[in-house]
Amino acid sequence: MFGRRTLLAAAAALALTIPLAGTGAHAQQPPVRIALIGPMSGTGAFEGQLGLEGAQAMVAVINAKGGVAGGRKIELLTYDDKGSPEDGVSAAKRAMEQDNVDMIVGGWFSAVALSMKEVTRDKIITVMTSSQHPKVTEEGHKYLFRLNATSAMMSEFYSKAICERIKPKSIAFMNVNDDWGRLELDNYTKLLTGCGIEVKGHEFYNRTDTDFTTALTKLKSLNADAIYVAAINTSQGATIYRQIKQTGYRGKVIASAGNMNPKLVELSGNALEQVYSASPFTEDGSAPSLKPWLEQYRKSYKNEPSFIAALGAQAVQTLAFGVEAAGGDPRAYDKIAAALKSQEVPTVMGTLRFSDKGQANQAIHLVQIQKKQIVSVRD
Amino acid sequence: MDFTVFAQQIANGLVNGMAYVLIATGLTLVFGVLRIVNFAHGEFYMLGAYITYFVGTLLGLDYIAAAAISAVVVAGLGIAANRLIFWPLRRDHEFTILLSSLGLALLIANGGELLFGADPKYVESPFADEVLDIGTVTLTQQRVLVFAAAVVALIAVYLFIRYSRFGKMMRATAQNPNGAALTGINIKLVHAYTFALACGLAALSGALVGPTVMIFPTIGNWAVLKGFIVVIMGGLGSVTGALFAGLLLGVIESLGGGYISLGFMEAIGYAMIIAVLLWRPHGLFSTARGLR
Repeated sequence: MFGRRTLLAAAAALALTIPLAGTGAHAQQPPVRIALIGPMSGTGAFEGQLGLEGAQAMVAVINAKGGVAGGRKIELLTYDDKGSPEDGVSAAKRAMEQDNVDMIVGGWFSAVALSMKEVTRDKIITVMTSSQHPKVTEEGHKYLFRLNATSAMMSEFYSKAICERIKPKSIAFMNVNDDWGRLELDNYTKLLTGCGIEVKGHEFYNRTDTDFTTALTKLKSLNADAIYVAAINTSQGATIYRQIKQTGYRGKVIASAGNMNPKLVELSGNALEQVYSASPFTEDGSAPSLKPWLEQYRKSYKNEPSFIAALGAQAVQTLAFGVEAAGGDPRAYDKIAAALKSQEVPTVMGTLRFSDKGQANQAIHLVQIQKKQIVSVRD
Repeated sequence: MDFTVFAQQIANGLVNGMAYVLIATGLTLVFGVLRIVNFAHGEFYMLGAYITYFVGTLLGLDYIAAAAISAVVVAGLGIAANRLIFWPLRRDHEFTILLSSLGLALLIANGGELLFGADPKYVESPFADEVLDIGTVTLTQQRVLVFAAAVVALIAVYLFIRYSRFGKMMRATAQNPNGAALTGINIKLVHAYTFALACGLAALSGALVGPTVMIFPTIGNWAVLKGFIVVIMGGLGSVTGALFAGLLLGVIESLGGGYISLGFMEAIGYAMIIAVLLWRPHGLFSTARGLR
């Protein structure tokens, strides 16, 4: 492939042959090329689409202001990981080896992030987005960053809110049967028992289930004060919330942290009214970059702005910040990593600080569904 | 054992089972009459749910009208699929037909993702959230409707096959296509309306089950899988077999999920297939070739 130097030479030669081209005198700088690897097809396709939209809207905002580091535009290349680790790995290889991208955004699902990080390990700046599994950043790769709070960080915050604000006397769990769903059950059983809430039981449903009446009939018969639902997938979540009401359950419903989005609210009808969740993203946040992004997003897409979309935007902002701090070279990986780990990164969801292992300290807010809107609950 | 929970699980199982029966009936008809294993059957279920959704939201028609229109439209699509794919291939090897149907399934599912979008949708129905208390059992009106409409549709299909002229032609074709053709039966016509009937039933089940869950372009996989489990258990080509096997599968899944473990719910269907095939290799209700 052509190196950047050859490309620059070619661009210079081109500029010489067309003496009248442009009035700006200096040649256009090459763009910063970012690979966005996400589930563009399969069951996670909707989440992938939201993430991509969020990232594209942020790219548009940054490019409209002239790009990064004095005029370098950002170019986003999209790859489909189909929500599967194998496809995630091959997409990352394609992005690095064939398309020679500068940086990577990926890791919407934990399983994909966990295997993809071994391919990108210490080779290229990689930002993992929505995956919550603690192991993604635990092993501390040089160039790896993760935006979402880990499930431990989420549960620490959310369990406090459940104990102090929602205050059910007893609780039952409806969790998806995977690593994350089981981890959630362990975390919350420990944390909620700790503040005196009785755990009456749990059900694990399968990731392929479409009907949940059997499980919910069992949970209803436990007569718990509240049912906690741990569902990532929007379509399964919406069915569960509706069916909880349809089984005639009249207790409180608590939605897992980080999985509340406008589509879920729309699909669930009235079933989510007054339901609590925790989310790093709220539309009424105060970050300066939030408003232009929201405007751009609403202008370009028909979906409502969501946490997943905000993560896409945040990933682009993080990388742009890194390039800026490294003086405009997207390949100065050591400089970029050092800058991201030592400075505060302003994003749509507030200021991020990355740990030495690349884990962001995402601020989390308690939210509630009121009149089909996700609003933040402030004290 | 808590009787209320037990009765509730049986009711859940019967409703789910009836939806399986509706899906499986079309599948078994196409096999019984035309000897075609149609892997695209689930996609017609998906189309049924989506067309109900779009007729409801875009044209603003009420749910019942939307469901009826969707069944008719998908019946028409079934005729088109037959005319374009299955009829021209009728003399080819069974595997060619089977693989073509698999191709059609992928085409419709991925086309659906492009056309309808990947985001899940919800089919609005006025009956979806209205709860009915029947004794100690709680069901939504929609779930009662799934059961009742399926019973009506199945009785209609039964009477149609048993007593109508077209039904007799179908049965004759099932027994011996060449013999039927010799007596002057228009086999091409039998092909067309068997597909119309099967796809219409699939669409009807999609339209009925739609408001109890969320719909997305790949729900056809689920439908065709359940359909095949039921058809194999009941005996390929047996409508009565599909009825009993479907209800049985629904109830056993629900009791197994309720009293043993939800993790086993999926496995129960497959375990039942193995048990049935070992014990009665042609299915529970199969006796010989033909439509029953």
